[in-house]
Amino acid sequence: MAAQNKAENGSEEMPAATPTDPSAEQKERLIAAVKKEVKQLMEEAVTRKFVHEESGGVTALCGAVESCLGQGLRRRALGLFKTSSTTALLHKIAKHCPEAALVSARVLAAEGAPATRSASGVERRPSAPRPPLCKRGSGSLLSQAPPTSRYLWIRIALFERQLAKIIEHLVNNANRYYERDALVADPDYGSILSSLLVGPCALEYSKAKAPACFWTDPPADELVQRHRMSAGTTTPPSVRRPILNFKRSLNASSDDGSAISTGTGKAAGSSAKDYVESLHQNSTATLLYGKNNVRVQPKDVEEPMPGYLSLHQTAAGLVIKWTPNQLMNGYAESEGIDKSLAPTCTVYRRRCAGPLCIDCVYWAMSLQVCVWEVVYVHVHRSQASDALILVGQDGVQRPPIHFPKGGHLLSFLSNLETGLLPHGQLDPPLWSQRGTGKVFGRGRARRRPMPSLCESGETEEPEWEETAGDYVFRIVNNAIADREAMRHSLLERAVQSPPRTPRRPLASTSTTSSDSSTMSVDCPPSAGLNGHPPLTPIPHHPVEQAASIELVCSTMRRQIISRAFYGWLAYCRHLSTVRTHLSGLVHPNIVPAGGAEGGLTEERWLAMTDETGAIHDKDEVYRLVYYGGVQHDIRRHVWPYLLGYYEFGSTAEQRVEQDMACRRQYETTMSEWLCVEAIVRQRDREATAASIARLTEASGKLKPSDNNDASEVFEDDCSVISDNPPIVSPEPSENDQKRPDKPVLSRAPSIDEVDNIEMDSERDKETKQNGETDTSDNKELDVDSLKDFDEDVHLKSVVENPDMRRESIAEIKRLAEGIVQKGDGRGLLCSVDSAHVNGSDFRSSIDESQPSPVQQHTSVIITNPSVDLAASGSPLSGGTTATVSPARSPLGVVREESQSAGASFDTLEPADRHAPDTRSNCVSPASSNGGVYSNELVESFALNLHRIEKDVQRCDRNYPFFTDENLDKLRNIMCTYVWEHLEIGYMQGMCDLAAPLLVMMREEASAHALFNSLMKRATDNFPSGQAMDAHFADMRSLIQILDCELYELMHAHGDYTHFYFCYRWFLLDFKRELLYQDVFSAWELIWAARHVSSEHMVLFIALALLETYRDVILANTMDFTDIIKFFNEMAERHDASAVLCLARELVLQVQTLIENK
Amino acid sequence: MSSRKKVLLKVIILGDSGVGKTSLMNQFVNKKFSNQYKATIGADFLTKEVIVDDRIVTMQIWDTAGQERFQSLGVAFYRGADCCVLVFDVTAPNTFKSLESWRDEFLIQASPRDPDNFPFVILGNKVDLDNRAVSAKRAQQWCQSKNDIPYFETSAKEAVNVELAFQTIARNALAQETEAELYNEFPDQIKLNANDNGRNRDGDNCAC
Repeated sequence: MAAQNKAENGSEEMPAATPTDPSAEQKERLIAAVKKEVKQLMEEAVTRKFVHEESGGVTALCGAVESCLGQGLRRRALGLFKTSSTTALLHKIAKHCPEAALVSARVLAAEGAPATRSASGVERRPSAPRPPLCKRGSGSLLSQAPPTSRYLWIRIALFERQLAKIIEHLVNNANRYYERDALVADPDYGSILSSLLVGPCALEYSKAKAPACFWTDPPADELVQRHRMSAGTTTPPSVRRPILNFKRSLNASSDDGSAISTGTGKAAGSSAKDYVESLHQNSTATLLYGKNNVRVQPKDVEEPMPGYLSLHQTAAGLVIKWTPNQLMNGYAESEGIDKSLAPTCTVYRRRCAGPLCIDCVYWAMSLQVCVWEVVYVHVHRSQASDALILVGQDGVQRPPIHFPKGGHLLSFLSNLETGLLPHGQLDPPLWSQRGTGKVFGRGRARRRPMPSLCESGETEEPEWEETAGDYVFRIVNNAIADREAMRHSLLERAVQSPPRTPRRPLASTSTTSSDSSTMSVDCPPSAGLNGHPPLTPIPHHPVEQAASIELVCSTMRRQIISRAFYGWLAYCRHLSTVRTHLSGLVHPNIVPAGGAEGGLTEERWLAMTDETGAIHDKDEVYRLVYYGGVQHDIRRHVWPYLLGYYEFGSTAEQRVEQDMACRRQYETTMSEWLCVEAIVRQRDREATAASIARLTEASGKLKPSDNNDASEVFEDDCSVISDNPPIVSPEPSENDQKRPDKPVLSRAPSIDEVDNIEMDSERDKETKQNGETDTSDNKELDVDSLKDFDEDVHLKSVVENPDMRRESIAEIKRLAEGIVQKGDGRGLLCSVDSAHVNGSDFRSSIDESQPSPVQQHTSVIITNPSVDLAASGSPLSGGTTATVSPARSPLGVVREESQSAGASFDTLEPADRHAPDTRSNCVSPASSNGGVYSNELVESFALNLHRIEKDVQRCDRNYPFFTDENLDKLRNIMCTYVWEHLEIGYMQGMCDLAAPLLVMMREEASAHALFNSLMKRATDNFPSGQAMDAHFADMRSLIQILDCELYELMHAHGDYTHFYFCYRWFLLDFKRELLYQDVFSAWELIWAARHVSSEHMVLFIALALLETYRDVILANTMDFTDIIKFFNEMAERHDASAVLCLARELVLQVQTLIENK
Repeated sequence: MSSRKKVLLKVIILGDSGVGKTSLMNQFVNKKFSNQYKATIGADFLTKEVIVDDRIVTMQIWDTAGQERFQSLGVAFYRGADCCVLVFDVTAPNTFKSLESWRDEFLIQASPRDPDNFPFVILGNKVDLDNRAVSAKRAQQWCQSKNDIPYFETSAKEAVNVELAFQTIARNALAQETEAELYNEFPDQIKLNANDNGRNRDGDNCAC
């Protein structure tokens, strides 16, 4: 076939077409490349505000510019320097162009060329490392010049913002340096080129960050996006095979070493990931050439398939890669189907059988050829297509690569040739240097076997486009050539002495073998490297040689066996540790999924309910919920069971009773804390008033006393508020302003409490008037009345229909009135109270209600703080009541009034009038509360109350359910819980846990009941408990066992092991990580799992989340901070169903692992 | 090779819950204010590139939970901080008063090398509200007494002084940079190397 091609070539190599077309096309292409790179660079600059010097975009742009400048460059103009033409050009024009002179000087400096180096040495392509820009030294013989130094002068010119000017100069003086039809000499293209570069020259370039940092910086989205493409090619999740992974971890270092040393680990997982990574321009590999729809016919495939061909320059040398289009596009399709599901879905899909297989097939088809392994490049040109065949050192042909027509093959070859420099070259060179003075340039290839034909072919470019024929190039590696020669001689010797063959495996694995054995084998090649293969010893002592090799073999055998044994032993130990450690995490018995995937639907639920409304088969319920979740409509019926609030087997009547009792209990508790709340509010108001008074006072005159010591700043304050230090906060007033429409419903019950206080304080007043005696009497009285009151409420609420809360509250109010009226000798007060209550019931009636003397009195007092709050500073008068209070919530006014009636004297006589001790006596809760609530209790509740209010306001504000009314319900739930568990107190996060329950149950009392059950488990997660640390520890061991690779990464990054990025997950049961709808399913899963598979389902969900993104995490070697950021950014964007499914799988995996004893 | 020096400034924002830590951070980094922020759980951080004295530095701003019960978490986040921002709410005197304890707590947990000169910045937030309860003078006095901590009155909502404050933060943190470098590496890394060595040695032992 080759011969035939040659013949064709010979016949058609004559010049055949006009020279203008292809050269114009080539110029067009070059300019288009520059345009594209400029556009990308500018985009990068816009999105990132600055461009990093090491950015791939910069390199690519420099490459494009270089090829533009290289095109049609006059060789002769530059003198002797052939290869590094554009650098030479720069130095050449430096004489005439000041910008070029500047850059030229910089280049020389950057090359770090010592003065001793000759001018020609400098002007050669800088292969020496440049200190400021280059990050990888080229110490070893094999390593290529780093890609960054390739376009050194262009880079520097770009960073110095001189590039556009230099090129302008070149364009203007093109006739001196360029052939007539060169791109730069072209009147249009030349000016286009120089003007294109004006933009990039204006950019900021920074090298502030380390290159590694640069590549890990992209936001979570981009990381997932990048990963999506590589997802198909990554390793199967190692969770599948803990055993292998464990081994891997045991001697990971040597494994890695061997993988690198063989250099062909295409199928190996890590290189697969690198593969996809390297298709992008990145810091370790420069993309020299890329062309899509290049067709290759892989083995076992009948038709050539289109794919993406790329040429990369890496530290190890040039690599040619071809990836089938299916692999490149595979994940774009799934993205199109469902964007929201895509990130996790694709990742998850790998775990399923189907797509994985398809990907594997395509993956197997892709090509990755290291250019140094290729000896010959055969080019077969025909009318249909240009084919390129790479022939390796072993003589094996790679599948032919078919280029589309139109010069692509040529540009690939020229890129290849450029890439080979300076350590290698194509033989014969693609670019002939012979056509002196004329534009022959690219497009010329000589046919090695027939030099005469080449000569004739050199005359015209279009030959390439029109002519069919064969060309053979040899890839010559100057650096390797010598070594190769030596290797051959070694191989010959190896043939003479067969036992030498195991040399390679030993060398790669024997990191731990005894020095003597390694040396004895490794010596010959090292000697060979010196240039003189020690041929003499072998023939002289063949017997000794054989003996020593035998020794080596036996040592190896021993070593291999002992390694295997120790590996096995360690693995056994490890597994037993695992078992003891993890057996507590999962249930030993595996409950099969069989048919439960549909979840708990309404039909199933109804079918399971018997005629009394009881559900008996709890295992089945749990199983269904575990595997399939609950249909949304029946969630509110099922959740109480799942949380253990309803008993399985309870009848409908029993449950109704339970609900009633629960509601009564709830209301009682609520009335208790509402009473305390009233006290707290009053104190707050005083404190606010005081601090505002202080503030106005301070602004009015300079206080010299404040100046001496700053501690006094606080002390002053304390003296004002010292009576109730921790409770003080002006927040409530702010709240009132923010939410003027406090629903009557939830706030109403406080009225009676307020009345109580009022009674108390009223009595206090009397007491005071009596010379502050007889407090014990009053206390008793208080207690009695309160008791009465409470009992009444109990009675009343029993009678009430619990669903009609509004009525019940009204009832409580009426009751309260009654209580108040019962009191002896307090007629006046009673009337006031009823007036208040009426006011609350009929908002408009406040102003109309006939103010009794007391009420008038109190109104004045109230307005005091409220006016101050508004910072109006207007003089206080009775009249202000009417004007200010309507603006506030009517209820609030009523409460304020009643409360301030209680403590009227304090507010009436502001801080400056009375000494603090007087006030403390008056406000002291002991007196005002009659000892029912201790000061500590009030204080601690006040603290919690303020926190609750701050957080409730902020809880899920974006979720439409949380209107003010429902936020108030949430507040009540929190307060009730905290009141019942004051020793725990409110902690941030509780709101988040209660919110979904309220959303689901819609009703305070039952939501509270569920919250109570939920908190039984969750309390331990909060800082006061120990569960969080336990979770972290469990996570750690789970990851260690299920995903060693990830574990190693985490370990390598130190603090990772604290697992703080999971903190919020565990604390809130993923409530912040998922959308509401998904939170419901996740929670159901967690609750059901307790009875089905694991008490600690959260761990497995966390693990599933981590595993979903493991490849992203690994690929970017995220550290402690990266991963926190990543997951915070990914919050509410996970594909919950896939994650939950994976979580179940992981449970099963651990169960199986433990079962496999 | 001065360019290789790490120019990452770790800034911790502390203060009582609801004073606007998250809002300040987001206003500075994203130039946005939202009233939708939830109470911060755990910790979050954002990064932003700023130019300080012609140097580009990356600020890593850590937002923390405000409830003091969650302070035990802090130790993991505080370590290696270059600057600490203490925030209070000018309408809530209590949040001002707890500054002292936040500062002390930070110094204990982060244990910087030179606690006396560790850069703090105090921000009095929510100055857009009119029910102000802590006067600027009072805050200023306290700041002066504490080794002249810079004090700014900010409004995350209306972007008042936020940029200026964070510029100061960056500058003050940068002054500590040399110190920060010593904290760059997590100490565990050393431990890991030790483990690796141990493993290799084990391998040596069993090889022969």
